[in-house]
Amino acid sequence: MITLDTVTKSYGAFQVLKGCSAEIGRGEVVVVCGPSGSGKSTLIKCINALETFESGQIYVDGMPVRSAKTDHSALRAKAGMVFQSFELFSHLSILDNIMLAPRLVQKRGKEELREHAKTLLRRVGLEQHADKYPIALSGGQQQRAAIARALAMKPDVMLFDEPTSALDPEMVQEVLQVMTELAREGMTMMCVTHEMGFARQVATRILFVDAGEIVDDCPVPDFFAGHCSPRAQAFLRFEAAHSR
Amino acid sequence: MQIWSWHGFFTYLGSPYIFRGALITVIMTVVSMMMGFLLGLLTAVMKRSQHRVLSWPARFYVWFFRGTPLLVQLVVIYTGLPKLDIRLSVLACSIIGLTLNEAAYLAEIIRAGLNAVPTGQIAAARALGLSERQIAWRIAFPQAFRLIIPPLGNSVNGLLKTTSVTSVISMEELMQRSQILVQDQFMVLELFSVAALYYLLMTTAWDFLQRRIEHYAERPYRRQQKTAAVEAIELPATTQDAR
Repeated sequence: MITLDTVTKSYGAFQVLKGCSAEIGRGEVVVVCGPSGSGKSTLIKCINALETFESGQIYVDGMPVRSAKTDHSALRAKAGMVFQSFELFSHLSILDNIMLAPRLVQKRGKEELREHAKTLLRRVGLEQHADKYPIALSGGQQQRAAIARALAMKPDVMLFDEPTSALDPEMVQEVLQVMTELAREGMTMMCVTHEMGFARQVATRILFVDAGEIVDDCPVPDFFAGHCSPRAQAFLRFEAAHSR
Repeated sequence: MQIWSWHGFFTYLGSPYIFRGALITVIMTVVSMMMGFLLGLLTAVMKRSQHRVLSWPARFYVWFFRGTPLLVQLVVIYTGLPKLDIRLSVLACSIIGLTLNEAAYLAEIIRAGLNAVPTGQIAAARALGLSERQIAWRIAFPQAFRLIIPPLGNSVNGLLKTTSVTSVISMEELMQRSQILVQDQFMVLELFSVAALYYLLMTTAWDFLQRRIEHYAERPYRRQQKTAAVEAIELPATTQDAR
């Protein structure tokens, strides 16, 4: 579904990504973890071309990302993204947030779309909030709406960039629950997160990123059993000591 | 000569000649503001462009029209155009001058608004596959517009009074007509008081209109939204402690 082939990126003299390669199959749930500043957010944003990279290639469902011929709009329709800070469009109601892109990009009919949007809102438990504006919703509700907005495009893969990092502890679970259900339904997911509990229970594979490199790429049980690099083990000990 | 003539004051206040002058002032303001806004929007977008072919003309335009007096611009347009065999009415010349001048200032206001739209909102729109044009019209412009209503209000208020500069090319707006009538009976104070009152009336009407526009644009950003009674009770508990 997604192929990363020696992706390299620099900000001036600072190399953020030092040749990252990985393969994510259909239906896999891959958690990307690592210390802050390691480049994991940059990596995930390269996949839907929100960030550019200088060399290497990424394929999403066979579509090369770094190519002048690639229609970025079509690429982004394949890969839905959820941001750390939700980024619901503040001037639009929740329903309009969900309907905007499918209507403009996929030219879908209003009636079909409204039904789809309502279904998605019901799925994330927000059906009674459809006509409210984002500001009236809690952080957890906003993030669930943002997930529904990304799903409305019927993406092949969902990218999550620290989806729970901006949330109060009591709201983390409601978002993780939606993500867990999504994974159970077979959605291909790539998720940058510090939620090791989620990684342990839901993910199929872990990518441990440090200093711009994918240091570990292993199945979840191996990773937590300690069959990983010393750097990842140190990271895990640190996360365990500071988890809430 | 008496100090103040109430009779004179009320005569001029009821004068259709002055009233029509005020009407012309309003027309010039509305037309110049609308055209200036469109030109200012175009200039702001060009100035923000990464392509120098677009940004440099925009920068030159803003630099030139903010750097020279409106009075000079009006005289140049009024006396220059006929030499190019372009013959326009005084009203047309006035509106062109006001529009070109106002657009330069509005461009900077609009640019500030566009810069203030959170980059995350643009990134989210991009991630959903919206084209740059769709992002501009659906996300950036609406959000920027809300932010710039107060400075735009200043501009409309200022323009209402700046129109009086067009009297230099003999445009018969409110101020020019007041000055013409001064020649008649030399009731300077009475006439200018009437003019002041008209300007106050016009700016007050605009204040009212601006408040309405602001109220409308702020609708999505009010914490208290019209919801069912049950949710209204529920809201403070869930929303407010979360923020």
